[in-house]
Amino acid sequence: MREKLIVEGLSHHYPDEYTGMDVHALDNVSFKVHEGEFAAVVGPSGCGKSTLLNILAGLLPHKVGSVRVDGTEVKGPGPDRGVVFQEHAILPWRTVSRNIGHGLEIQGVPAAERNRRVQEFVDMVGLTGFEGRYPHELSGGMKQRVALARTLCANPVVMLMDEPFAAVDAQTRITLQEELNRIAIATRKTILFITHNVDEAAFLGDRCFIFTRRPGRLKATVKINLPREARQWKNAAADPAFNRARDEILAMVREEVRDGDG
Amino acid sequence: MATASAPAASSRQGPRTLRFPRLHRFLHKGGLELACVLLGGLALWALVSHVIPRPDRYLPSPGTVVYSSFDMLWKGLLPEFIWNTIWRLLIGSGLGILVGIPFGILLGLNRMVSDMFYPILNFFQSIAGIALLPVVMIWWGSSEQTVIFVILYTCLFPIAFNVLVGVRSIPRIYVNALRTLGASRLRIVRDVILPGALPSIATGLRLGIGFAWRAVIAGEMLAGQQGLGWMIFTAQQVDLTAQVILGMAMIGLLWIVLDRYLLRPLEVDTIQRWGLVQR
Amino acid sequence: MNAAASALALERVGLDRRRLRRIGLGAIPFFLLLSLWQLNTYMGWLKPIYIPPLGSVVSAIFTLQEGCPGLWAVLTMNESCLFTSHVLSSMGRVGLGLAVGVPLGIGLGLLAGMSRRLGNAMEPLGVFANAISGIAWVPLAIVWFGVGWMTTLFILLNTVFWLVFFNTLLGVRGVPRTFENSVLTLGGGRRHVIFQVYLPGALPSIVTGVRMSMGFGWRALIAAEMIGGNKGLGFMIFVSAGEYKVEEVFLGVLFIGIIWMITDRTILVPLEKWTIERWGLVWRPS
Repeated sequence: MREKLIVEGLSHHYPDEYTGMDVHALDNVSFKVHEGEFAAVVGPSGCGKSTLLNILAGLLPHKVGSVRVDGTEVKGPGPDRGVVFQEHAILPWRTVSRNIGHGLEIQGVPAAERNRRVQEFVDMVGLTGFEGRYPHELSGGMKQRVALARTLCANPVVMLMDEPFAAVDAQTRITLQEELNRIAIATRKTILFITHNVDEAAFLGDRCFIFTRRPGRLKATVKINLPREARQWKNAAADPAFNRARDEILAMVREEVRDGDG
Repeated sequence: MATASAPAASSRQGPRTLRFPRLHRFLHKGGLELACVLLGGLALWALVSHVIPRPDRYLPSPGTVVYSSFDMLWKGLLPEFIWNTIWRLLIGSGLGILVGIPFGILLGLNRMVSDMFYPILNFFQSIAGIALLPVVMIWWGSSEQTVIFVILYTCLFPIAFNVLVGVRSIPRIYVNALRTLGASRLRIVRDVILPGALPSIATGLRLGIGFAWRAVIAGEMLAGQQGLGWMIFTAQQVDLTAQVILGMAMIGLLWIVLDRYLLRPLEVDTIQRWGLVQR
Repeated sequence: MNAAASALALERVGLDRRRLRRIGLGAIPFFLLLSLWQLNTYMGWLKPIYIPPLGSVVSAIFTLQEGCPGLWAVLTMNESCLFTSHVLSSMGRVGLGLAVGVPLGIGLGLLAGMSRRLGNAMEPLGVFANAISGIAWVPLAIVWFGVGWMTTLFILLNTVFWLVFFNTLLGVRGVPRTFENSVLTLGGGRRHVIFQVYLPGALPSIVTGVRMSMGFGWRALIAAEMIGGNKGLGFMIFVSAGEYKVEEVFLGVLFIGIIWMITDRTILVPLEKWTIERWGLVWRPS
């Protein structure tokens, strides 16, 4: 299986805006994500997860270490790495369909083809009928679906997701997780998913990368053996292997949090 | 989920239909009080002007004012003055807008640049155009040019300033989202900056044109160019107080029309349409 | 001294790196402008009648103050202290206008906001009065009060009152009914309702109104002084312009800007910070 995303020896420092002191965000991080794999990154707050994502997305330059997507070194943001942000970031002055099609618009895809593809993704994320609505008319969960559809529609090589369900209520969150899983299976996308929620990481990920608290290092990798097609919450909650893996991850994350609090 | 179907036929709520629904609405929304105040005010006015000595100079009666307005209309003077004033406002503020908006956007794009220019734009915004009028009069004397330049200045800084702030307050996340979709700088300006700054542009416009309106009146008074401001100024000097009051009423009316039916709807419309909350 | 210690030291003075950076950056265009100004005088691009030398503008202060006997004369606005008497005269009028106009505006605005009838009656009046911008009142004011301080004060009062009134009215209207009801059910009377519900609730709008009225009022005052006054900064620059004394005009204009900025910074922004930002009613971008 090809490796879509290769991170080697990535370290990152930055000066704090207020005090000028140096913050060591990431320390010698290395991992690989295979084609079609769903990789979950989980760790305590402040462990550098978001910094990692910003570097992978090309929004933050990296000086130490290498980040390669499909063999090419990452230099800046681009459509090959699609990002779903925590605050969804869909433009409030565009309708649902115009937002979803924005990536294609930028790529210069002609209108007819674009509309066809947009409709495909509107249906895929379950927003049929809402094409003409504006974001402020939608709920938080629906906005996140638009963000997801927009990224998918632009057909990136790798999808980066930064705690996309953090701001959504618990019920919607569970629904969105199951839907994301379904979509990931259907599109066979390579996904890197950041979260601080251990349940979410275990439910969605093929492999979970556990990070230490600052400076963020890769503490461990846990493989989740439950087949993706079988992942629904009612199944997972009952499966003993799943629960064991989840508990393992939880224990490790707890370690980091506890140590941090001294 | 289907969207709303064709709108229902004109509503006939309840068994009783009002014969004059608009009149009813007007009365209910305070129209009654408004009518009372207007009539009462007019009556008081007429009474006062009847009682005081030399009403022609101090407070001409409503009737005299109305008569004088017909007189000026018939002579074709009033429309000409109104047109002159509006035309000056349009040219001056038009130029101010044309320069101010791009200026504000350019300055707002880069964080360091906008931090640099924020205080100085604020400073110039606070020196009213009117204060600048004597300076410009030394340069160019009492001319059309003088007044239009002052209007331009008065309009430019509020607009540039508001646009700058508007561009800066567009959440960075939108720009980042477009960057990850592969958008070029130009595209980002087109798809994110311009629409995102539109509410601030509308606010800046409203402010700028408000200031410009005052500036044009004052400019006409001081620089002697024919128009509404000039009309009331010269009328006062020859004791034609009825004309003064007429002019004031015209000025007020014009501004209300301009603000209520043009500027404010523009501002509210852009903000409401995108569900953005105003600062 | 390492970075952390110096940062802490600065913080104690109330500055942090960000604020320093911003102040430093913001000063650059001013320095550029002043340098350009001096350069112009040196190179002679524009004649001194258009852009007077910076030095002459500063020395104009002293020229104007020549006949001035001393500090006491300055404070009593003695006529021979030309410059200071004009500045203080304008500022004094602003102070007076605010001291009278703001409480009146708030008071009537509160009443009009709470009573629907009164509000409906006075609101259109307020709209219209605001629309006839302060300057348009000048000729009529001259008819009634003649050229002088009464006219200028009247214009200022007019502008301030209607703006504060209108904003207070809107602010009171925007206070949810449930607040009044809750105070009433706690046993409060009319006085409590006014001072504990509507006044604080309308405070953001009131502060906005005060801020606007100062801005518009200051402009209206300068204009009124030019057209119908006989004392004050506006009058001074108008007269100096007539005598082609460019440096005095520049001086006056600069001072108008400086005074406004100082007022804004030292009174209004802290006022806003102290009342509405403290209560989380205003969103400020960082």
